[in-house]
Amino acid sequence: MPSRCAASMPPRLRSSKFSSSTASSPFISCPFVRLHPIAQPVHSSRQFSSTPCQQITLRRRKFYEWLNGPGQQLKEPLPGSTNYLGAYDKYGNLVRAGHGWRREDAKAAAAGQQQKADPEAKAEKPAETPTPAAQESLDELEAAIRSGEAEEEGKTQREEKDDGKLPPETAEDLRPFPLNQYFRSQPVLSEDLREAIFQRVKKDGATVSLASVEFGVSNERVGAVVRLKQMEKEWIAQGKTLALPYSKAVLQMLPTTPHVDSSQAKNKGKRPIQHEPINDLPVHPATHQQLFVPVSESRHYTRVDAGRAFHNSLLPADARIPHPELVQAERELESGLSFEERRRLAEQRFEKQQEGKRKEERRMEAERAKEKVVPRRRWDFVVRDVSVEAAGRDGRGIEASGWRYGFPHQDRKRGIPKIPTRVEA
Amino acid sequence: MPRKKPRFHSLKKLNVRQNWSRWSLYSLSQLKAPNVTTRTYFQQKWTAKASTRAYHGEHIREKKWKHMFKRNLPAVVAMDHRYLARHDGSEQAAGRGMGADTQEKTRTPPMTPYMQMAYYPLERRLDTAIFRALFASSVRQARQFVVHGLVKVNGKKMPYPGYALNPGDMFQVEPSSVMFATGAPKSRSSTARRVTKEKAAARAEAREQSGGQTPKQPKPDSVISQSAREEPTPAELKKHLQELMEQVDGVLAEDVKAKDKQKFRALRQSVRKAISLWRSANPETISTLDTQFDFLKTQIAGRAAATTPSSPKDIDAAEPLISEEDQARLRSAFDKLKLETEHTSAWNSRNAAAPYATPWRPRDYMSAFAFIPRYLEVNQNICAAVYLRHPVARQGLAEVPTPFHIETGQLAFNWYLRNR
Repeated sequence: MPSRCAASMPPRLRSSKFSSSTASSPFISCPFVRLHPIAQPVHSSRQFSSTPCQQITLRRRKFYEWLNGPGQQLKEPLPGSTNYLGAYDKYGNLVRAGHGWRREDAKAAAAGQQQKADPEAKAEKPAETPTPAAQESLDELEAAIRSGEAEEEGKTQREEKDDGKLPPETAEDLRPFPLNQYFRSQPVLSEDLREAIFQRVKKDGATVSLASVEFGVSNERVGAVVRLKQMEKEWIAQGKTLALPYSKAVLQMLPTTPHVDSSQAKNKGKRPIQHEPINDLPVHPATHQQLFVPVSESRHYTRVDAGRAFHNSLLPADARIPHPELVQAERELESGLSFEERRRLAEQRFEKQQEGKRKEERRMEAERAKEKVVPRRRWDFVVRDVSVEAAGRDGRGIEASGWRYGFPHQDRKRGIPKIPTRVEA
Repeated sequence: MPRKKPRFHSLKKLNVRQNWSRWSLYSLSQLKAPNVTTRTYFQQKWTAKASTRAYHGEHIREKKWKHMFKRNLPAVVAMDHRYLARHDGSEQAAGRGMGADTQEKTRTPPMTPYMQMAYYPLERRLDTAIFRALFASSVRQARQFVVHGLVKVNGKKMPYPGYALNPGDMFQVEPSSVMFATGAPKSRSSTARRVTKEKAAARAEAREQSGGQTPKQPKPDSVISQSAREEPTPAELKKHLQELMEQVDGVLAEDVKAKDKQKFRALRQSVRKAISLWRSANPETISTLDTQFDFLKTQIAGRAAATTPSSPKDIDAAEPLISEEDQARLRSAFDKLKLETEHTSAWNSRNAAAPYATPWRPRDYMSAFAFIPRYLEVNQNICAAVYLRHPVARQGLAEVPTPFHIETGQLAFNWYLRNR
């Protein structure tokens, strides 16, 4: 077992443990004895010996030493920031924090603010980075207004803003698993970005792919956001209780992608933040192996040919990415077509796409017209026409409806899972 | 005699488990890269398999996992559409067949960590996905939620924790259970004990009154009654509208924070009743407050416009149906309804009946484990999430959350590769 646990821990950490209990003075000196809160367990199975089991207690002591030392920082979330193991060194110091930053102060400030006014604490987080000046003046104003102990709190808060403000997280700080450098906590969509996507798709009637390009969010995610937001609004219409305290706390702990509303005056010229790469090309299994194909020097060997060399049905990347229309538009721009021409071509493509959609809809409609639906309270009965011919010559056809003598149901056979494989939306 | 089952969290053999406990956090902090110098290849693989399996799906039998294992690992490459538009691929065969020489050094892209993806089929399981969406504090708890019927997939109850989610599946967990799972645990207080005692006494009394039978719980009727009528008659329309406006008056007089729930509920009911008069209205089209308002506005306006030319004596009756100030009042009443819901949801007060510590706060050490992988899209307000796609590896990033070193991942992958 590595002896990473701090035998010589800096005093700052130990004092931090008691700051919560003695809120008035965070730098009280404490006896070292308090580091071993666990009493020696009684070993009833070792009655022949009065010596306690050394090995176990050593491990347990180390465990509690770590928990009360470096692990103490992870117990509660950092106000307004993520709080992962990768952001700390082995002594429990926040690596990216400046000299002036102290966790106790930040926590006390956040707690004090929360006690005084809930919305104020909410507003603080986003306002922190872009407008530090306004924030500082506000704090000073508040400090002047308040009196007594409240004034003291304002002072610590100002101190934090002076030199102890937390810088934004680096890639290392976002690692929940310090050993796995290929995994990091990636940002999630903020509440206003979700709302903006929903409004763009539902109110303005933008297509999913258009919204995806505009917000820098993948196609599937746009669809999911709209679906979830719709459900949230239904809940509000029904008067159901939302899990708002949970939601607020979780979004505070996670890195989020903010929404840059370009229609507002202060965001003039700013581009929306790319949430994730939208043109992901899935790696085809046929291309896992390296391939040597002799080709004559004079041949113009393109992506299309390379794809065919790997697999007969492997299309080039331009056709397999989720947004081929971007490539098309870029190509037209390159070839020097005028704006009017490009617009005409884009409209043609859009028209063609809509035609395909309509055709599909008509087909679905025709299919639905064939079956009769009898709505009941919980499930709908769907009555469909079947043909007797489907049973086949021997009456054992696979497509035939109903139970057939001598054929066990598939889900009654051994080794075939009984769990459903899909649920219709 | 069978061997004693080892401890789930042992300090002797440190295992990282899929939960938010302090033991897991401690084990996480003590993890090391595998020792590859002094041990045989078999030993290395064995240890890697054992430690990774203690984290990934430890509640699944080894044979089951072996069947789920796939040697083909999914990956994606982010493409630049501008590059694709400008080049057709032949530039890579230019020069002597390796691409023409350039002055500036081309940067080699970061490695794709395929070897951290060995356990990606397990991320498809419903219980694991619930844990990854931060709806439960451990996979075992998520599994219990599923088994207890607290989880829906695409709106249908799904009692199988091993259900393999398909891309596009939406799963939702009961919000009160999520708050219980992620909130700080309740410490027993005297008030809580008193409340439970009172409740038990009340239940016993009710049982005695009904003669030893368990009394039936009153059922809330929230089903929108579908009217069989084509269109409402003008008289009916007027009556319902008057009712609606009365409720609007009541709601507008009420302060949101005062929480007179009856008035808000009555307005909701009367809105539903007014809407259900039209046959064209089905619950899907009028599911949100905005659409309800729009629907009412257009239908009433259309009705008023249709009736006015036919009978001149209806004019004064049709006029107040859709007057401007009525519309504005209706709008503000709808806004109040929305506010009211949000207010009651955000109201995080002391509640002895709740199974978690109130006011709700996240449980200890939650922030160290709080991340949501990109293959899920989560809406925390309704405790629902969508499984967008299977996890993939991309350059420099693997989406399967695994706490181990890449060499451990590689060794574990190689363990399962044998005989395949």
